[in-house]
Amino acid sequence: MTGIVTESLTRRAMMRRAAQLGVLGAAAPLAIELTSAAEAAAQASSGDDYRALVCVFLYGGNDHANTLVPYDRANHARYAAIRGSVAFRRELLKDTVLEPRVAQTLTDDQQFALAPYCPRLKVLFDSGKAAVQLNVGALVAPLTLAQYNSPDRAKNPLPPKLFSHNDQQSFWQALGSEGSTIGWGGRLGDLALSSNEQALLTCISASGNAVFVSGRDALQYQISPEGAIPFRPVKHMPWATPAVSAALEQLVTRPSAHLFENELALLARRSMAMEGVVNGALDKVTLAPFDPVPDRNPLADQLEIVARLIGARRELGSTRQVFFVSLDEFDHHNDLPAKHARLMAQVDEAIAAFYRATVELGVAQQVTTFTASDFGRTLVSNADGSDHGWGSHHFVVGGAVRGGRYYGTAPHMSLETEDQVGQGRLLPSTAIDQYAATLASWFGVPDSEMATVLPNIGNFATRNLGFV
Amino acid sequence: MADDLAPSNDTEAARFLLRAKFSAPPADIAELRQLGYRGWLDRQFASPRGQTGAEWLDAAGYGAITEKGEYFWPQFGDHMIWNQLLAQPDEMRQRAAFALSQFFVVSLNPIDGFWPPYVMAAWWDVLTRNAFGNFRTLLEEVTLNTGMGMYLNTKGNLKEDPATGRQPDENYAREIMQLFTIGLYELNPDGTPRLDPAGKPIETYTQDDVTNLSRVFTGYDRDMSQVTRTTVAWLDYPVPSTDFCRDPMVLDPANHSALQVDFLGAHIPEGTDGKAALAQALDHLFAHPNVGPFFGHQMIQRLVTSNPSPSYVGRVAAAFADNGSGVRGDLRAVWTAVLTDPEALAPSDPAIGGKLREPVARYAGWARTVGVASEGGKWNIFDLSNSGKSLGQSPLRSPSVFNFFRPGYVPPHTAIAETGAVAPEFQIANETSIAGYTNFLQWAIRWGYGDVKPSYATMLAFAHEPKEVVRWLNLHLAADQLSPESCALIEGAVASLGVTVDSDDAQKTNALASACLLVMSAPEYLVQK
Repeated sequence: MTGIVTESLTRRAMMRRAAQLGVLGAAAPLAIELTSAAEAAAQASSGDDYRALVCVFLYGGNDHANTLVPYDRANHARYAAIRGSVAFRRELLKDTVLEPRVAQTLTDDQQFALAPYCPRLKVLFDSGKAAVQLNVGALVAPLTLAQYNSPDRAKNPLPPKLFSHNDQQSFWQALGSEGSTIGWGGRLGDLALSSNEQALLTCISASGNAVFVSGRDALQYQISPEGAIPFRPVKHMPWATPAVSAALEQLVTRPSAHLFENELALLARRSMAMEGVVNGALDKVTLAPFDPVPDRNPLADQLEIVARLIGARRELGSTRQVFFVSLDEFDHHNDLPAKHARLMAQVDEAIAAFYRATVELGVAQQVTTFTASDFGRTLVSNADGSDHGWGSHHFVVGGAVRGGRYYGTAPHMSLETEDQVGQGRLLPSTAIDQYAATLASWFGVPDSEMATVLPNIGNFATRNLGFV
Repeated sequence: MADDLAPSNDTEAARFLLRAKFSAPPADIAELRQLGYRGWLDRQFASPRGQTGAEWLDAAGYGAITEKGEYFWPQFGDHMIWNQLLAQPDEMRQRAAFALSQFFVVSLNPIDGFWPPYVMAAWWDVLTRNAFGNFRTLLEEVTLNTGMGMYLNTKGNLKEDPATGRQPDENYAREIMQLFTIGLYELNPDGTPRLDPAGKPIETYTQDDVTNLSRVFTGYDRDMSQVTRTTVAWLDYPVPSTDFCRDPMVLDPANHSALQVDFLGAHIPEGTDGKAALAQALDHLFAHPNVGPFFGHQMIQRLVTSNPSPSYVGRVAAAFADNGSGVRGDLRAVWTAVLTDPEALAPSDPAIGGKLREPVARYAGWARTVGVASEGGKWNIFDLSNSGKSLGQSPLRSPSVFNFFRPGYVPPHTAIAETGAVAPEFQIANETSIAGYTNFLQWAIRWGYGDVKPSYATMLAFAHEPKEVVRWLNLHLAADQLSPESCALIEGAVASLGVTVDSDDAQKTNALASACLLVMSAPEYLVQK
């Protein structure tokens, strides 16, 4: 069953095939659309120098081993033996087996399937729009198991506070533990500030405050799924007077000698100044609603406003943007099968809908989306869940992605091999820095500047993993 | 502190009250000035409890077994906690419990199954019942609470199984150390990090400590022994009574790990009885020198200032270590030390002192000051954590066990960051939330939220006097933090409504709500100093 989705298939052939195979289910419309995506991409205006990176952060530590699952018999048997009650039965995986576009031989001849609730990511992978980065995680420098176990930390440095949620979230976003104030997305933004007419729209979070999109100079701009939020009572007070509105505006924006107060005033001024600009531009964007997504998919809501902002890029004068979106509650210590199904289905739907929106906007080649998360998890289960781990597998999605293949080194499905540090916690074979440098390079950061974005990149031999 | 120290004026009294609890209405100011700080605190510590969350849910009819399946509805849990914070008479206890709920976090968000509101009510009861008790007792009740068991997975946690390779769940073992007792780095008694010879902070625990300690928390599950079951026509299984929410989890020795536990220098021998193992583990954590400064620092941050001096933290930690009668972990001593420290009572630093007042505290303070009532007794206030549409924060609705904001949060490239200060509450301040909050106020303080409407009863009498309205609100909501310029600006705006002594209550309420909106949006109010 190779190549069930390829760009060369005609729409009709695609539909026939999907019906025959009956395997794509909810992902069938996407698969059909992708067959015409190549045409759409070809029609997209050339000379549009726009580029955007979108970080999809899965807060809590995504269970990588139930996201990308061994499917070949030998490795699936090992997986099932180790994971016990949280393991997928093999037959559940048959419809989401990934089909690399070029044959790849992975560690122990592993063949992977996605979780059954990720049919759209499978379509994106098979059609070459999504790549998988294997076993990537927090490192300061390349590390072997012997070095990990060595007491000489000066010689074999570890990232601070491995296995701790908040610190590893911070490390993924800012390559430092909690309290870091400059993220690598923000550093990318620093280099791009002058490319954008509205400097404040360089680094944008549609989630909460995130250090990822905070630079040395670049500020995080926060947007809600509904767009920029106006100060309604400043505009109109239905039960009071214009004088109350005027006083309100003065009060909330007045500078102060107290730093906290002054910061609030600065925030209010930024909020007010950008609201009209942003909403005015968003009003002019036409984009099909993110359909079909279930009624409540907060990640899709965030990605939809990101897509709309990208749609408004010309109006806003944006040419380089870094976005941050997120989904909570991936810390599946218990009830993993049900909870992971619910959340990863949302990720699957949201990323696919977003990719489709970039096609509709003619920017599929210019927008690259990637996943990140606190850490991977243990292979060993604790009855119905898993514990905090280290390395994980991640997805990179977009028209520019050299997809349909795996990057990095697949870990053994094992508790004994040298690529894990106990209970199946993966010792990363690829560093966040390398993953980030590859994305940064595509974003336009010259090699000479890479160390300013990623201070430890010099510790790693390979700076470009080649997935985009 | 001298035992008879008292505020010398209403401003000082209001300043103290707005830290010790949510509001500072006139009667409390008078009482505090009469009793002095210590006398007032002692009265609060001795005062009777209000209705518990579960009692209130029962009384409001939220325990009914209905065909709509309301026993699965989480939102009554929101109604319950808002009623507690906005209306129960034991206000200081509620305020202290709210601070504790941001240290020991259980969120309603993922709580599912039967009776989530009762699970949260029982959790809230642990915090309110022990808010003026002892940290060690609190820690044990926190550990065995069903809601915590569901949230951090002690419920149903099984011992290792060599046959399948299964391991105990490590979640609670990790977070009880990282968040609930000792934190990540060894601390001096004043809360500053201890450093190794190379000048680096010293980590308190390793993954191995977590793995060992996790064995202690195996074998627990909900106590169903008191549960009665109701058979209903519309379900093919019975509906349990709410008792399991209230009762501490029980130990099944068959599911408890018998392996020895070595963590943080403690040794619990192989085969130790589960109950004894828990007591030893909690005793060991409780005795760790980090607990006082780690916990005390965060309670100072919640109630007084984001950036206490090390000596202030040190004094609070000393009170934690010994309440003066040789008792460790006496929370009355902690609250007293936090609230009456000379640094707390002195004028705060004009550039960096104080903290950003939390959205929940703003709303609760306003409600208790102007008076609100639920028309139908249902307290239909929901999860208000949406930052674009409401407060961006809601009690018992943290997005994770790390609370809405972290004690060490530094707002990036701000003047605050340049000074090396932290500002935890700024983690939920952004372009969206600052506007969303004002929009929420515009509606909620005039018309109410859900069935919870403001009365402004005591203020209607002077609603036609803008100067008095502003003076009153500045004192009672803001401890006179608003500058004369801001007051003049607000007075002018309120005067523009043209309310006279003969205006009707609706017009007067327009004026009063306008004044509240302006006061509560002003950065001079938002930063509690």
